[in-house]
Amino acid sequence: MLVNEIVDAHVLVIGSGGAGVRAAIEASRYGSVILASKTIVGKGGCTTMAEGGFNAVLRDQDSIEAHREDTLSGGAYLNDPALVDVLVREAPERLRDLVRWGAVFDVTDDQMVAQRPFGGQRFPRTCYAGDRTGHEIMMTLLDRLDATNTQLYNEVTVIDLVKDEDGAVAGAIALDREGEVILFRSDATVLATGGGTQIYDISTNSAAGTGDGFAMAYRAGAELIDMEMVQFHPTGAVYPYDARGRLVTEAVRGEGGILLNARREQFMKRYDPDRMELSTRDVVARAIATEVLEGRGTKHGGVYLDVTHLPAEQIETRLPVMLEQFLAFGVDIRREPMEVAPTAHHIMGGLRITPECRTTIPRLFACGEVAGGVHGANRLGGNALADTQVFGKRAGEFAGKSQERSGRIDEAWIETELKMLDDFFDGAISPAAVRKDLKLTMWNQAGIFRNSPDLATALTNVRRLADRRLFAASTANIPECCTVRNMCTTASLIIRCAQLRPENRGAHVRLDADTATWDPAKSPFGHTYISLVREGIERREVAA
Amino acid sequence: MREITLRVSRYDPAEDAEPYFEEYTVRVNEGARVLHALHAVHDERDPTLAYRYCCGSGQCGSCAVQVDGTPVLACMEEARDGMTIEPLDLPVLKDLMVDIGPVMAKIARICPAPDAGLPTREEIEAIKPLRDCIECFCCVSTCPALLVTEFAGPTVLRQEMRLALDPRDTGDRISDAIEKGLFYCTTCKRCVEVCPKEIDVPGKAIEKLRELANRRGLTLPRHQEVARLVQETGRSVARTQPTFLEQVPEVIEPEGPVRGEVGFFVGCMFNGRVPQTALDAMEVMKRNGIRVIIPHDQVCCGSPLIRTGQTSFIDDLKQKNIEAFTSQGIETVMTICAGCGATLKNDYETPFVVKDVTEILTEYGIEPPAKLDVTATYHDPCHLLRGQGIREEPRALLARVVGEFVEMPAQCCGAGGGVRSGVPEEAKALGAMRDEAVKATGADVVVTVCPFCEFHIADCTDVPVKNLVTVLLEGYRKKDAEQKGGSA
Repeated sequence: MLVNEIVDAHVLVIGSGGAGVRAAIEASRYGSVILASKTIVGKGGCTTMAEGGFNAVLRDQDSIEAHREDTLSGGAYLNDPALVDVLVREAPERLRDLVRWGAVFDVTDDQMVAQRPFGGQRFPRTCYAGDRTGHEIMMTLLDRLDATNTQLYNEVTVIDLVKDEDGAVAGAIALDREGEVILFRSDATVLATGGGTQIYDISTNSAAGTGDGFAMAYRAGAELIDMEMVQFHPTGAVYPYDARGRLVTEAVRGEGGILLNARREQFMKRYDPDRMELSTRDVVARAIATEVLEGRGTKHGGVYLDVTHLPAEQIETRLPVMLEQFLAFGVDIRREPMEVAPTAHHIMGGLRITPECRTTIPRLFACGEVAGGVHGANRLGGNALADTQVFGKRAGEFAGKSQERSGRIDEAWIETELKMLDDFFDGAISPAAVRKDLKLTMWNQAGIFRNSPDLATALTNVRRLADRRLFAASTANIPECCTVRNMCTTASLIIRCAQLRPENRGAHVRLDADTATWDPAKSPFGHTYISLVREGIERREVAA
Repeated sequence: MREITLRVSRYDPAEDAEPYFEEYTVRVNEGARVLHALHAVHDERDPTLAYRYCCGSGQCGSCAVQVDGTPVLACMEEARDGMTIEPLDLPVLKDLMVDIGPVMAKIARICPAPDAGLPTREEIEAIKPLRDCIECFCCVSTCPALLVTEFAGPTVLRQEMRLALDPRDTGDRISDAIEKGLFYCTTCKRCVEVCPKEIDVPGKAIEKLRELANRRGLTLPRHQEVARLVQETGRSVARTQPTFLEQVPEVIEPEGPVRGEVGFFVGCMFNGRVPQTALDAMEVMKRNGIRVIIPHDQVCCGSPLIRTGQTSFIDDLKQKNIEAFTSQGIETVMTICAGCGATLKNDYETPFVVKDVTEILTEYGIEPPAKLDVTATYHDPCHLLRGQGIREEPRALLARVVGEFVEMPAQCCGAGGGVRSGVPEEAKALGAMRDEAVKATGADVVVTVCPFCEFHIADCTDVPVKNLVTVLLEGYRKKDAEQKGGSA
């Protein structure tokens, strides 16, 4: 294959969810910007599917310090404190940006942005637009984006980052819908590709959540941290079969929904009697998984999530998307309980970044779910949308402030890369078959509860799958092959980091008998890290 | 798992002269959606099938396709054996992927004032019903006005109203809306029917934008004439012949025992333009034992004003009409005009029940008429089918009186929403499409239950157009003639 088109810009943003679009808006203040999107901008990613809300300290009764402490404690003190500081300090202003730009958040009678309680937070600080908060944010960002000079590339799959002779990221290679090759060249590149829980059999993620950013950055030499930290959202749909994993928002519990097992016991009493349904997601997910494993689940393998005690009007106005989705599958949540079970939702780990969103490779910035460190070992509901806006803005700003790049791009490397694409025409197995196998492996052997033999089996399987020669039936099928390759890479990063962490911490739980469990604030372990050249786990000093 | 067969439209502009259908048999899980059937085709039969999807849960609007001719979200619609899947009615890029760029570009963006604060709760609540749009473009794919005019599309106008309601926005949304075809919408509500979020674009955007346009004096002159007529005479139709109300007493007693009693809301078309049809209806009621009370102080229901945004004196009309019926203690009000019926049901808060004539006749049951030796087809009036959700009753009644009944796909005739008077060339073009559809059925007569549709389609086709009540009366007359002939 040959490069069909070369496009230059000051900043290249890869990914069109909340973080990518926010980065593009900010970067456009400093020069030309290209936004490369695997989908149609605004329709892809997980932001548009985010239902519950956006955490920001807005009221006098709340405080930045409280938000900071909730985030650290929820994250089992694995978060990078400097990133948490930035998150909680800047979230209110980023929310105000959205309101200024036309967002239609719910407001109170006294004309303030309304807030509701979410798990693991001592104050109701989750701002919302019904249960379509992410969609509202995306629509607002698209309005704002339209007012900038950002050049959109819709339905373009970035397959790898490109580096120059100085070792700096110099852009990316992408394929358009027909499989034609585009070379983007930039002074700075923002990676905002989101997460990747589509590598699990049961996942809330959109089809675009395939971990491409983790994999591309890893291949380019970036260091990633805490990749073992995968959040399983406690409440995903359990049937029909093809709808398994569809997100049932935490707002259902925020509005007063209760969890019951098949014996109609409010089982959270036994796991977290103080916070009950509004405990942190890692705790609630494990509680549900335990109920089901111990035989107290429903016949579909879930538990009940019940809002039938709430007024119908509250359900209709605060949870309209939930109502509509369940009605489509024959369940009227005003009259009967939902059935739910955990579903792979969010990857807390990701590229190691500084508060300026700089990665470990020059001229490469990262923001949103592809970056690590903000949420530690467990993310609080409502902190991800805030993360996209706070760090999206920062990534756009600091990428925008980058100096002009002068290094030459390595042409030979591009030739090798393109030749690899041609190899897909001689492949032997459909990407769909590999994907299916991978998703089952990850769900069964690297899911909520982990142990050493399972992780070893999983890694062997994933490596075997990664070695399969994927077949592209046409040039338009090459992006799919690249995506499946990325899924395999992301899966192996998660397993390898899971093997590196010998403790139970937040979302990472190992059932090996010798695994340490302690007060997370006192854990001697810091981030796991992984790159082409090194991997390990950081040790830290703990005050006695 | 179960096995299903589906037909999928395939088209690669680089290779194919035109789209063609390919049939696939695949295995899907119980409860699988259309999207999962497409995945099965892609994963197991043909990986080159091009189709869009992303969130898989009805939130991103990527996966809209037509299933058996109706636009749906593939991720939410249950897969059926034997279904046919086609792209939306937009320019096709490949297979099921369409080019949504041009219509997306027409959707207005907010231009917020730099110092704008937060809207009030009331303002937010007003905007919300218009904010759910996920830009799937099902509405754009199926809107009849788009077939014959430069109408920008239902969701484009939805966005104009969303912005008009936002105190932060600085744009001139009324002028924009008019430029984008505000007066082209026939208020047929087909867009509401296919919208995955059930956004009432005609009611909550089009009619409201027309109201805002009215306040600026931008209502179409022909519509202003109608408003003047209603204000001066209480009627939207000028008197050119003896009216229905002039010809009937306040109470029409049935021939035999009284089986029921209804008040009759006549409406301007039946009163002034086609009174004979209303008189026919009275004969049918008499024949079926239903007493009809006809308050003579009733006036226009206001529909022509609401649809065109001229609502300044609408409350007077409502009050007069409600009093006309309540003063006589009437509990059930019958309409024969689909427009009046939909208006009384949806735009009024009435202390009485409102029912269409086909509902009344179905409820009481009718004396069997003789079968007319004709093949008839039925045109669904938009304000009956979607405005009132009535589909089966008229078909069942019609089937009892005609030799053969043949279906015709429902589509707006072009008369509604003030389009016949305001944009006659659009009404004519949509009417011509109805003519083609009628001819395709081979029917001898096209039957409907709305005077607007009846009057307009009659203008556009040479096939006779009749109201259902007239056809029923013909059936009774034939029966009487046969019995007379038999007894002589």
